[in-house]
Amino acid sequence: MNMRIPILKLDEILIVSIQWELDDQKAIQFQEDLLNKIHGTSARGVVIDLTPIDFIDSFIAKVLGDVISMSRLMGAKVVITGIQPGVAITLIELGIRLENVMTALDLENGLARLRAELEA
Amino acid sequence: MKDRSYVDIFTEWDIVAARQLGRNEAKEIGFGTVDQARITTAISELARNIYLYAGTGRIEISRIHEKSLFGISIVASDQGPGIADVRQVMNDGYTTSGGLGAGMPGVKRLMDEFDLVTKQGVGTTITTIKWLR
Amino acid sequence: MNKKMVVAINAHMDEILKRWQRGMEDDKGERYFEIMPEHLVDKTSREFAELMTSNLLENDVVNPEKLSDFTGKIVRFGWSIKFVNKSIDQFSSVSFDVLEENEVITRDNLRAYMDIFVRWITPLRESIIEAYSVEWERTVSLQKIALQELSASLIPVFDKISVMPLVGTIDTERAKLIMENLLEGVVKQRAEVVLLDITGVPVVDTMVAHHIIQAADAVRLVGAKCMLVGIRPEIAQTIVTLGIELTDFTTTSTLRRGMQEALKMTNRQMVEVDSQ
Repeated sequence: MNMRIPILKLDEILIVSIQWELDDQKAIQFQEDLLNKIHGTSARGVVIDLTPIDFIDSFIAKVLGDVISMSRLMGAKVVITGIQPGVAITLIELGIRLENVMTALDLENGLARLRAELEA
Repeated sequence: MKDRSYVDIFTEWDIVAARQLGRNEAKEIGFGTVDQARITTAISELARNIYLYAGTGRIEISRIHEKSLFGISIVASDQGPGIADVRQVMNDGYTTSGGLGAGMPGVKRLMDEFDLVTKQGVGTTITTIKWLR
Repeated sequence: MNKKMVVAINAHMDEILKRWQRGMEDDKGERYFEIMPEHLVDKTSREFAELMTSNLLENDVVNPEKLSDFTGKIVRFGWSIKFVNKSIDQFSSVSFDVLEENEVITRDNLRAYMDIFVRWITPLRESIIEAYSVEWERTVSLQKIALQELSASLIPVFDKISVMPLVGTIDTERAKLIMENLLEGVVKQRAEVVLLDITGVPVVDTMVAHHIIQAADAVRLVGAKCMLVGIRPEIAQTIVTLGIELTDFTTTSTLRRGMQEALKMTNRQMVEVDSQ
């Protein structure tokens, strides 16, 4: 139960792949870990891959939205990748639009998009 | 194969247990991945509401069959304080917990049928159904 | 008394069927027999008669499998419910006539036989009509599914660019299906830009616009861009008149112009090449 979500560093980009269903504790733990890592590494960008995640409820969406805003405050741009069709539809039906969030189809596209953003 | 099963909600972990039960049931009934996500999310919202506002309660999941229709029904019940203003709760963006305020109206949109019975000081029962298309 | 009647009806079945068929053919406006090949008429008539006589003996109930088999068949033949109802009436009155002519039914037992007929025909009619309506509902829902399957597919036109042509009226149920097909297609085809072509959508009201906006939002979440193309002048008028906000995403009047935009978004363009 104490498994933390691993955060990898690639140059100035942090890569997070969320592999398991997030419970509330793990989501909040992740928020803390990511912010600490951004602080410790001075990363300028973050890619969070959600490909294996099959649902996101309003709580996790809020944690995710918060972590994006917080990262931005710390000078790191965030791209979310691999949101599954079912997840996207449920989020929209819940009324959660996640506006101003950069997205990409998969990790590869996400990295490309982030690199383009950082160069600009 | 049971037609009806439930999870009692006491801790945050029980929210995870409830949605896992719902996800498995939905899969077995034959719902597609998108509907599975809808059902799992709805259960998560309902279970979290019990945890946040009533403290304890129960999520009951059953398979239903009516005429030529198959479906899943989720009943969330608690003996909590009840809801003072149902209309307000069903408004988008209303929250007392600092969440996104997407809960109840969101659940209604995710599911096909939604019924809320509440009495102050007695408790709340929410019944929702998703039909297999 | 019933047994005697069953024996008599079975003995004169050919005669009953002949008269029944003649009676049904006389019916103007209902031409189900004319369009059916003769051997099929014969076979169906016999099945009908078998069904009609299956509950004649007391305590006999209509065999539900036979019933649904037969009703399934006649729904497919296109028999109307009116025609089915009339067939039952006709069969009952022809049987009555034949029994009377053969002196099974006489002046003395007329009353008793009328009771038997009522007890015979009424439940039979109820079960046949019910089975018919179940079968009919099934047909309708199958057609609905067929229509849904037909109506929303995402077509990969170029690498990274897909098009979904929407045709017909969009209700909430269809909108959900369109959204699912759209998103699953985007992910599967790895489309970065999708063009929703609404040339074939007759009316865009607030509800339809709302569904389109939701679909575009969901497309953004999975990591692609959604473009609305095929906006006819009258659609543009209603959108603005209704005060619908579509400013969040790119819209163009034609698919062709949308495609040029989509190529630009993916850093490509079309060029003409000199032919030798």
